Amino acid sequence: MTIFIIGAGFTGMQLAKMLVLERNKVVLIDNDAEKVRHASDELDCTVLEADGNSIDVLEQAGIASANAFVALTGNDEVNMIACQLVDSAYPDILKIARVRNYAYYSAVDSASRRKRTSGKDTVRAMYGMDAMVNPDVEASSAIHRAVEYGAVGNIIDLKDGFMLTTLGVGSDSVLVGRRMRELSSIDGWNYLVAFAEPETGALIPRGDTVINAGDTLGVVSRTDDVAKIAQFAKATHETFRRIVIFGADRVGSMLIPLIAEKRRGTLWQMLFGGKLSESQREVIVVDRNAARCQEIAKRHSNVRVLCGDITDEALMNEEDLYSCDLIVAASGNYELNLVTAAYMKSKGANKAVALTASTAYGAVARKLGIDVVVPMRGTVVDSILSHLRGRNVSAIHSVCNRSFEIVEGDISDKSRFAGKKLRELGELDGEFLLLLAKDANGVTAIPNGETALEAGSHVVLIVRSGDTELLAKICGK
Amino acid sequence: MLLSILRVLTYILGIAGSAFLLPLAVAIADSDRRMALVFLIPLLIGWAVAMAFWFAVRKRPKVFDVKSAFGVVGLIWVAICIFGSIPMYFSGAFPSFTDAMFESVSGFTTTGASVLQEVETLPRSVNLWRCETHWLGGMGVIALAVALIPLLGIGGFRLIKAETTGPDKEKLTSFIANTAKSLWLIYVMLTVVQMLLLHFAGLGWVDSIAHAFSTMGTGGFSTRNASVGAFGLPAVEWICTLFMLLASVNFALYYRLFTGRLRDVAEDSELRALVIVVVASITVAALFESNASTAFSKTFRDVAFQISSVVSTTGFMTADYTQWGPPAQVVILLLFFIGGSSGSTAGGVKVIRWTILAKEIGNEMRRIVHPHQVFTLRINGKPGHESLIPVVASFILMYFILVLATTFAGAIAGLDIFTSLTAAASMVGNIGPAFGQLGPTANYGFLPASLKWWYCFAMLAGRLEIYTLLIMIARVCHVPKARAVA
Repeated sequence: MTIFIIGAGFTGMQLAKMLVLERNKVVLIDNDAEKVRHASDELDCTVLEADGNSIDVLEQAGIASANAFVALTGNDEVNMIACQLVDSAYPDILKIARVRNYAYYSAVDSASRRKRTSGKDTVRAMYGMDAMVNPDVEASSAIHRAVEYGAVGNIIDLKDGFMLTTLGVGSDSVLVGRRMRELSSIDGWNYLVAFAEPETGALIPRGDTVINAGDTLGVVSRTDDVAKIAQFAKATHETFRRIVIFGADRVGSMLIPLIAEKRRGTLWQMLFGGKLSESQREVIVVDRNAARCQEIAKRHSNVRVLCGDITDEALMNEEDLYSCDLIVAASGNYELNLVTAAYMKSKGANKAVALTASTAYGAVARKLGIDVVVPMRGTVVDSILSHLRGRNVSAIHSVCNRSFEIVEGDISDKSRFAGKKLRELGELDGEFLLLLAKDANGVTAIPNGETALEAGSHVVLIVRSGDTELLAKICGK
Repeated sequence: MLLSILRVLTYILGIAGSAFLLPLAVAIADSDRRMALVFLIPLLIGWAVAMAFWFAVRKRPKVFDVKSAFGVVGLIWVAICIFGSIPMYFSGAFPSFTDAMFESVSGFTTTGASVLQEVETLPRSVNLWRCETHWLGGMGVIALAVALIPLLGIGGFRLIKAETTGPDKEKLTSFIANTAKSLWLIYVMLTVVQMLLLHFAGLGWVDSIAHAFSTMGTGGFSTRNASVGAFGLPAVEWICTLFMLLASVNFALYYRLFTGRLRDVAEDSELRALVIVVVASITVAALFESNASTAFSKTFRDVAFQISSVVSTTGFMTADYTQWGPPAQVVILLLFFIGGSSGSTAGGVKVIRWTILAKEIGNEMRRIVHPHQVFTLRINGKPGHESLIPVVASFILMYFILVLATTFAGAIAGLDIFTSLTAAASMVGNIGPAFGQLGPTANYGFLPASLKWWYCFAMLAGRLEIYTLLIMIARVCHVPKARAVA
């Protein structure tokens, strides 16, 4: 595949790196000489110093033979216009843009949804974008998922009521010292361990892999079973009454309406006020920007907004913030997020969630006592990769600092595994079927050796990152 | 600019002249030739002048800037009050022009304070006209004019804004004319409903119309000396109670109700506060007034009527509240300073202003406990009304300054302290009756002429919410431009 990327920032570089590793031809374009020099030193691909939103530049670089075009500059408008430009000349190229402005993102999103449901045959993608990626939306929904399931770890939603929970194993857990094949003998355990991440490095477990205290496990289960798994792993799980959200900028402001419940009273309560039930959670937002605080206070009547510095001891004591159930550090300052989450936890907060720059901080953060670490940029690369991987792949989630990918896809009739039973697929090293969604009977289940793969069924796999050939074998191109 | 002002003035006088048609019809029906002429001549003059202006300058553009808008509104109101007093004066029912003028101002400002002790002997047409002034002034003559003819050009919304009450005014529809039409239509419909109900409850047609006008305008003039109480019909009293309260609700809410935006109505802060004020006042007063000698249903009816009358700043009466026990009297006195809703026909400080202040006091207290927390003022469930706080606070200050100045005027004229204070609140709040020498059974006829003129000013200032009139006076007096204080 030939992939054009404009914008050689953090995400552009990371994506290019992933794609180059998978032996794709990558053309990276940026108009900043310094970035271009850095990129060409770092990556084994074509790097051009030019304006990415010029069709002449793109044609000279050979866009005509490209398969995909990804716009990742720091400017939403440039990204959108670049896609439109490419679309006008080469409508068949897959075009993906990063759009950070939530107003653009949601407006274009809802408009194209309306277009799709309007039933007209000639539906063209809006602004030529086949897909839009908004890192803030993805990060905030990842945080929201983690919070809703008790902040035991990162949560990845799989198909049809299943999900993958990443959580650490406590030293007094019943799982400690067991081999994988012994797990099924534990009363009530019918979950699947997708990956384990001991100190020595992430691995896909085999029957004789031993679980140690402090390991991080990725467990597939039904959505309602998170609390039970947390109990097995002795990772504490709870519902939150008092949540402190630090940072009300891009991610934080998107997170607030997700976490704070809407107060919707009866007509009587609306007429005469009246106290609503006390079971609701109290959400406290802390930000130092006065204008942002005003905006949040106006938009959400059900949260308390404090304007001040989270590192200000006086403020924290004044509002007794250390006694909160959960601290969600979601500001744009990722290092401060880590420090704040760790500090608050040490001071008495029950659980801590932190938004960080990349997956690389995950291990450190867990050592600091932070329960959930949501990486900011990893999610963007994931969703771009899932678009690039072809029609049969619907979603990709990187785990274990990009060692593995959880891939959702469909088995096509061209796959040579179609019709075979899982037991017969001995050759599949480093791949592991986690979930078979919608088999012949339309049932979603965790597979076993007798499970047969059939064309058309939806599967969730864990694969070593960059192992696209195996993926192609299973799903078929 | 002068042309624009004169043109609007004459058009509105023409429309006000048309309002003479109703009393004229009654006069003709009564075959009272003298009264018919009294109404017919001003009517024809008003029409003639308006027509003349229409043909002379209809092609010229209509422009109002901010400065003149307030002046125009003040001017129109003064002119309409004078115009309305003409048939009253020539009817011979009033001893002097001052009295006729006081009655007219009291009518158009929906105050309802009369200089007459005896109204039952007046020609029916004059009585009807007195009540009709309430009705015209209640919703606003400029709004009526705009609803009827394409009167105002660029900047015209400012004129309506200067006439409607409340701290925060909005257009309901994108065109001013449609807004004015909708509001007037609702007003007319409510009036017709009340008129029919009163008629079915046993009142004659003219009495029904007159009382419906007086109730919906929250005025207070009646065709009887003893006001609504004179009929002795509980049904009539309850109908009036209901419609007084309905008239003290923001008419924009009826528009929302009719256009199906129920949630807006339910979330309206002012309506909530008004309901709370009315229910609480009636409960407290009824508790203190209930006694063994009177049936509770009678007490409750009287209390509900009197409270509704004062809270809606109407000034009807069925019982003399100055005969009540002190606690219930204090409830009435407090209501003198509250008033109805913004955008209603009621006067007073307006419930929304107190609501805003109360919310701000709450926020202020919370701010002391949580110095870092950000608070916002939510009105009708919508945030960001902080800018209204200084507007409302300064209005209330101005309001009380005017009440105190009017109290002083009353004291100079020889009224006792309590009477002059309550009369001042009654005048500025457009209520009508006061306490003491000017209680619900008394009238304003005995006051010296100078005080009547001052009260005229106070009533107009209260109806136009003070600033309009102050700006007009400031402009007439050519107050030099405000200089920065060093």
